[in-house]
Amino acid sequence: MKKNEYLYLDHAASTPMRDVAFEAYKKTESEAFANSAGGHALSRKAKNILEESRDSIASHFGAAPKEITFTSGGTEADNWIIKMPFINNKNKNAELVTSAIEHEAVLGSAEWVESLGYKVNFIPCDNNSLIKTDDVLEQVNPNTKIVSIMLANNETGVVQPIKEISYGLKSLESGLIFHSDVVQAVATTKIDFHNLGVQSAALSGHKIGGPKGIGFMFLSSEVKVPSFFHGGKQELERRAGTVNVSGVASLSAALDEQQKNITKQNQNILKERTDFEEMIKHSLDVMVVGDSVKRLEHISNIQFKNIHSETLMVALDLQGLGVSRGSACASGAQRPSHVLQAMKVSNDKINSHLRFSFGWNTQVGDGIKAAKIVLSSIEGMK
Amino acid sequence: MRILVAMSGGVDSSVVAGLLKSQGHDVIGVTMKLWEGPNGEMPETGCCTASDSEDARKVAATLDIPYYVLDYTESFSEKVVDNFIDMYAQGLTPNPCVECNRSVKFDHFLKQAKNLNCDKVATGHYAKVIKKEDNYELHKADYLDKDQSYVLHMLSSSTLEHVMFPLGTISKPEVRQIAADLGLKTAFKKDSQDICFVGKKNYRNFVDKRIDISTSGDIVNSDGSTMGQHDGVHEFTVGQRKGIPGGQGAPKYVTKIDVQNKKVFVGEKQDLLISDFYLEDVTFVNGIQNTKLAIQTRYNSEDLPCEIEQISESRLKVTLLQPTYGVAPGQFGVLYTGTKLIGGGRITSKLVEKVTI
Repeated sequence: MKKNEYLYLDHAASTPMRDVAFEAYKKTESEAFANSAGGHALSRKAKNILEESRDSIASHFGAAPKEITFTSGGTEADNWIIKMPFINNKNKNAELVTSAIEHEAVLGSAEWVESLGYKVNFIPCDNNSLIKTDDVLEQVNPNTKIVSIMLANNETGVVQPIKEISYGLKSLESGLIFHSDVVQAVATTKIDFHNLGVQSAALSGHKIGGPKGIGFMFLSSEVKVPSFFHGGKQELERRAGTVNVSGVASLSAALDEQQKNITKQNQNILKERTDFEEMIKHSLDVMVVGDSVKRLEHISNIQFKNIHSETLMVALDLQGLGVSRGSACASGAQRPSHVLQAMKVSNDKINSHLRFSFGWNTQVGDGIKAAKIVLSSIEGMK
Repeated sequence: MRILVAMSGGVDSSVVAGLLKSQGHDVIGVTMKLWEGPNGEMPETGCCTASDSEDARKVAATLDIPYYVLDYTESFSEKVVDNFIDMYAQGLTPNPCVECNRSVKFDHFLKQAKNLNCDKVATGHYAKVIKKEDNYELHKADYLDKDQSYVLHMLSSSTLEHVMFPLGTISKPEVRQIAADLGLKTAFKKDSQDICFVGKKNYRNFVDKRIDISTSGDIVNSDGSTMGQHDGVHEFTVGQRKGIPGGQGAPKYVTKIDVQNKKVFVGEKQDLLISDFYLEDVTFVNGIQNTKLAIQTRYNSEDLPCEIEQISESRLKVTLLQPTYGVAPGQFGVLYTGTKLIGGGRITSKLVEKVTI
């Protein structure tokens, strides 16, 4: 197998960078490499690119430019918004509401908040990995500082009722911050933050064909959160550290292309995923997670009956198909996912799930090609 | 051939992967993640630490072979760690490495190899597989000081058919030389002797944290008198001197442990001298054989000439031609004829009862 024949279906983990993003990165780094906070011509050039990019990025999400703060990615934004309201907080009864199926960036931050002695409610999900609006609202009270629910789950693609929750929260007039990690959703969803009704959101560049190490936090102008990083006065004094202007320009270029083509892209992805799932379902005894509910176009989480998914993942890799199983740990071994556990998938089935995720550069025929590799690998395992 | 190689991150398995690759085989490297901390982290010490799997990954990258860390934690925890704790709780001396080979490693590993269309699996153990007509025999390594056949005694002929031990004819210095020649970063890495899931920590602390049998009891002398108190029978194994009150003239040894009544019996060294004991859960590589037998009662211990009598299919009575000290119930007794391994089983706790005081 040659390396360039490798079929990559792990876009939910990361996507290849778009040419326009590469070009924007290279151009910015060569023509406007200076520190955007400086006082000379080259700094102004960098600052101009930074602010033009901010304007453009904000416009894609119906946000004001000053509501966008660039970060190192989604994890930093999640940590920031979830932890800060609990640091130096005087109300020892303050609470956090989140879900059991959040990305590790949110879960880990929430567990840290819990370790400080604050009450954290982890809202359960149903067997489709869907959170119920009422379950969230029931846990909200005057002590709730933050509600954090992801727009779509990164392992199953199942879309959560964020707008409904925000509507419910408004009716409670609770003055809390409603945060949503949209890192996975943005790959195949057009998002307007104000319309969605969230006060903050976390986003990362590398899920849409942008570079790794750049992302942003949307923070609605109506709320204030203390800084997480201290030092220089960059990013409207919200986030210290020399701004990664090349990363921002690259992210902006990637977003421009993605947003322009998103309808066509999603049609293509959906066609390939449907071909893939149909062929698999036709030949094997499988269950597609979230088949009957609203799901992101690019994710297919499949339960293979009586197949050890870790072994299947290796078999697929050896045949040139890259997919993923759950959350990876530092050593590389993958453990049963917390999302499947929250869905109450039984112990004998929890190790038989694989996630296939399509992306912006998925080619016509990739779905069938992937299904054929899966079928032949499973045939080889018998 | 396509060969699945178990890579621990040590020099031995690194060389196995390197040798097989240089022979033109299609080699796939795997590190079995056996044990982890409460948050899924790899242990910091022992033989399967995060830095060891990192070493294995680097070796695989140097050799340009596919490499995976696979999760064996569930069955390891259930079959090896729980057993380890149970054994101590019963006053027995466990051998977790044998238990791991017996009930985790080879079983699951061979299944995975088959699923991945591999013809063989290979490990860095020092032992030899020899094909004799239709059967596969397990033999000691050529360099006896490194021989590890003891910990592999449970492999049957039909399993050995699918297993390779490429280091069986090579000395350790040669292995290090090959690793250096191949440019593998593990070439001069120190060997690990720790129990992988306990690491450098005291295993008694490990057991203490996990079981509640630390109720105190009597230490009983050979004349039946109580000579002191202990903090829990799991702190003792037969043959042990540590933890027994001193000032008794001749050194005292643990001769028997009565778990139910929480009593630890002690006696003189000659009380530990035994000539016969039983093996249970016995397996044979190619069926039973009765002539010119010798037994090892610990890993890498000397071969003790013996005779056996089959009590039942999986139970043997072993009679040593010369009585010996230091046979610990819970350890494995492994039978050889010359270099050929015949079979083995767990030294039964009945031994403890036989040592009368």
